Amino acid sequence: MNQQAAADAARKTEVLIMHKMTKQRRTVYPFAALAGQEELQLGLLLHAVNPRLGGILIRGEKGTAKSTAVRALASLLPEMDVVSSCAYHCDPAVPEQLCPDCRQRLQTESGVVTSVLTVPVIDLPVSATEDRVVGSLDFEQALQQGCRAFQPGLMAEANRGIIYIDEINLLDDHIVDVLLDAAGSGVNVVEREGISVTHPAQFILVGTMNPEEGDLRPQLLDRFALCADVQGLTDREARVDIMKRRDAFEADPSGFQARWQPQQEGLANRIAAARQLLGQVNTPQDIYEYISELCAAAYTAGHRADIVLDRAASTLTAWRGLSQVTRQEVDDIAPLVLAHRRRQPPEESETPQNQEEPEESEEEDNTPPPPSEPPDNPPDQKEEREEQPENQDEKEDKDKNNNANPSQEVVFAVGKPFAVKRISHDKDRQARRGSGRRSRTKTDSSVGRYVKSTSHRERDDLAIDATIRAAAPFQRRRRLDMAGPALLIENSDIREKVREKRIGNFMMFVVDASGSMGANQRMIETKGAILSLLLDAYQKRDKVGMVAFKGDRAEVLLPPTNSVELAQRCLSEMPVGGKTPLAAGLTQGFEMVRQQLKRSPHMRPIMVILSDGKANVSMDGGKPMEETRRTAQTMREELAIKYLVIDTEKKGLLTFGLARDLAEQLGGEYYTIDQLQSEGLAGIVRGALA
Amino acid sequence: MHNHKPQNYPFSAIVGQDNLKQGLLLNVISPRLSGILIRGEKGTAKSTAVRALAELLPDIEVVADCPYRCDPDQPLNHCPSCHQRFEAGETLPRKRQSMRVVNLPVSATEDRVVGTLDIEHAIKQGEKKFEPGVLAEANRGILYVDEVNLLDDHIVDVLLDAAAMGVNTVEREGVSFSHPAQFILVGTMNPEEGELRPQLLDRFGLCVTIEGIHEPHQRVEVIKRRSDFEEDGEAFAARWKQEQAALREKIVAARDLLPQVTIEDGTLFQIADIAIQMGVDGHRADLVMLKAAKALAAWNGAAKVEAAHVQEITEVALSHRMRRKPFQEVGADQKKLQQLFQGGHDHHGGHHHGVHSHQK
Repeated sequence: MNQQAAADAARKTEVLIMHKMTKQRRTVYPFAALAGQEELQLGLLLHAVNPRLGGILIRGEKGTAKSTAVRALASLLPEMDVVSSCAYHCDPAVPEQLCPDCRQRLQTESGVVTSVLTVPVIDLPVSATEDRVVGSLDFEQALQQGCRAFQPGLMAEANRGIIYIDEINLLDDHIVDVLLDAAGSGVNVVEREGISVTHPAQFILVGTMNPEEGDLRPQLLDRFALCADVQGLTDREARVDIMKRRDAFEADPSGFQARWQPQQEGLANRIAAARQLLGQVNTPQDIYEYISELCAAAYTAGHRADIVLDRAASTLTAWRGLSQVTRQEVDDIAPLVLAHRRRQPPEESETPQNQEEPEESEEEDNTPPPPSEPPDNPPDQKEEREEQPENQDEKEDKDKNNNANPSQEVVFAVGKPFAVKRISHDKDRQARRGSGRRSRTKTDSSVGRYVKSTSHRERDDLAIDATIRAAAPFQRRRRLDMAGPALLIENSDIREKVREKRIGNFMMFVVDASGSMGANQRMIETKGAILSLLLDAYQKRDKVGMVAFKGDRAEVLLPPTNSVELAQRCLSEMPVGGKTPLAAGLTQGFEMVRQQLKRSPHMRPIMVILSDGKANVSMDGGKPMEETRRTAQTMREELAIKYLVIDTEKKGLLTFGLARDLAEQLGGEYYTIDQLQSEGLAGIVRGALA
Repeated sequence: MHNHKPQNYPFSAIVGQDNLKQGLLLNVISPRLSGILIRGEKGTAKSTAVRALAELLPDIEVVADCPYRCDPDQPLNHCPSCHQRFEAGETLPRKRQSMRVVNLPVSATEDRVVGTLDIEHAIKQGEKKFEPGVLAEANRGILYVDEVNLLDDHIVDVLLDAAAMGVNTVEREGVSFSHPAQFILVGTMNPEEGELRPQLLDRFGLCVTIEGIHEPHQRVEVIKRRSDFEEDGEAFAARWKQEQAALREKIVAARDLLPQVTIEDGTLFQIADIAIQMGVDGHRADLVMLKAAKALAAWNGAAKVEAAHVQEITEVALSHRMRRKPFQEVGADQKKLQQLFQGGHDHHGGHHHGVHSHQK
């Protein structure tokens, strides 16, 4: 018995070593050698002083040393006391937060053994799968020893440390969900693959992102205590400096590190001193009041901003070697705390422009943003138009031409884009390949979320837990004549994972380009709406196609392509003029989608029809509206396609509501352009307050 | 693909396409240039040139039994197993091996790219074993992606991640592992079939746009050589043997010279000024210009980077970075770039200083 235990222990230490050795060390650029980006540097250094500050999000253009800075931070982080050989780095000083294992250890005679560990920085690559993030069944132990053990995941490794996610906006949604869940409660609850484990998971998130590639969900955004926006430096001396340092580093990494060692040590000493001081920093009452004033003026949601601002200001005070927080510290750190939390005043409506350019609000630090006029206010619209004089001219030309010659073609500019609300296909049972971020689907690639297992074998995507369960009842019988691993598995036991993920859709735009769209700037607004949908399609990785109808026929402007850029180009060049052959447009679009469906039957197309629903010319010489209705009915029978009708009819004037009828005939959804806009957090809050 | 082809078309026999050839050679001389994107219509020798490059690649020193071909002289970049052996005081066995060109097919799945759990080993032995993927194969070599704009987005994200860090971190399917993945990313694309995301564009060090040759004599030469080659590849290669050998020698000489190439502050300011005036995102452009200019100087046998070197590489280093937003077209600012150099031939540094202070 004893021998067995000793062998087990020996094996365990071996496994531990192996585990440690699977991570490659990186040659890290010294933090002290970073040039510029003061906000970013300060934000990170404060985390070295106070690792519990709450994480930082770094937003910025490509090539601005975002990732370099975060990786450089790791070497400056402090050490902490941990329970030796605890997978979760439990803190021996806080017994109430110990993991179940450590609690057991505490009850043994020897108690817990303490050792020292640097605050861990755990890399979460965008390709990470859920089982590695939350932890899963340890199948080595399961197969060799036939016992059910938990293999801790990244959230366990990151307990009391930092999870670093490069390109965090590209992370799969279901991974974001589990991260948010644990970050909120500080506990990771694992109920999967037949194991049931709860362990502490107090980590902070550090992420980098390039906003061009898509935004973060507000819940996730709010998890970051600080947010630093970085840009390339425009100062030539600084740029030359960066080139020199980087070049020297790449030519001789260890030599470079050695040269910067004194500065690194200086930083480390200052951090250590600040950490000592941190406990003694106090915040006077008037500073608390000042903090809440600032947060109120920025219309932050909830109280997290206040708490974070206080904590960050205290840390900054310690970093500066002071013991009392003053307004100066609060002012200096407030931009980082409020950058991603600042909201529109609740009584004002959120205009699309403000949503699009959140960075702008940073400059107006202590003043509330200027009131914006409601979007459906006619004078406001006029003002907006006047910002684009060419369009105005074009429009006037158009109006004149319209009277003179209705078939004349004019090209309108593209209106301002806005953030689009979530549009997606419903889920079904079909497995699909591909990637993207729009609709949830079953997938036959191995990146999705593991939802269940099947004995139907197609790929080598093994569901270990289910396989073991299937093999378990037969072990006694199989064991009779064989020695070997603890579990004997045969082909019939093998189970595969069934997965679910989001994929891009095919978006088919059918656009009314008839002469009537030229009136009242409708085409500019419509093009703006299409551009918004295209930007959305870019971020969700959709395939797009475009058909326009005008005069006596419909025209394929863009065959299905993955290039949203092409669509954008053909949108800006699309002319309007002539009559409205709606049925022809619908038929053409429908045919194109059907062709796509034939080629890839599992695809889930969305057809977006931008029209006022009015038809005045038919293909067969019959009544145009009658023809439209018939076409719509045929289209409705194709269940794979989801229809969206965007009404381009102007409100206020004589309205016919024909687009709504069309949507009903198609069995699709109906939106006006305004309804298409997504509601920001302010909108949701407004809704809740009302 | 080239497994089936006994003979590659010799690099030195490619007619014209000087930009393309230069871009590829600069990358071979300075692997830190982080790759090249080749944009062009069909049938412009894009793939031929990349495949031909394989033959010119110099040999590298590798740890003989390491699946990631670690450099025995670079302990900082060792894979976990080499690191462990190195720390234990073991003398790592060496061998010389030529750099490889690893092909990433557009249809590749994510687990094949990053590597995955060896299922067979897991089931039979009850042990976890990491099965290296394409990124492991490409370490210290060239990763070639034909039609890179058609690549699945998820794969693109993974490539970006690894290319940026030089490390492939795998956290999937019960496997937790990381290994070095430093590769020269070479991609080809036909812009008619869609653009690349700006973020991926930015990761390519250089970018060349190539067209078919219009000059009649050269066109005839292309046809002649190609048919000669197809008739008897070996004989054709034999005829080009001398040129190939000379080219290879020149590459080796340039690689040896590169670490000694120096650059003066004035030239660095010239680079910074170009970057500022062209309004590129971030600082990657500056670094690429610096490295490319150094590589070009080394290729020309010069020990110091001159203004002319910088000027020569500016277009290939910047043409794909002037595109700032997802929907702006590549190369939209070509005119601006040309203006920048007009009249700047004789006194470069001075000219740019002047423009800059004038703006201030």
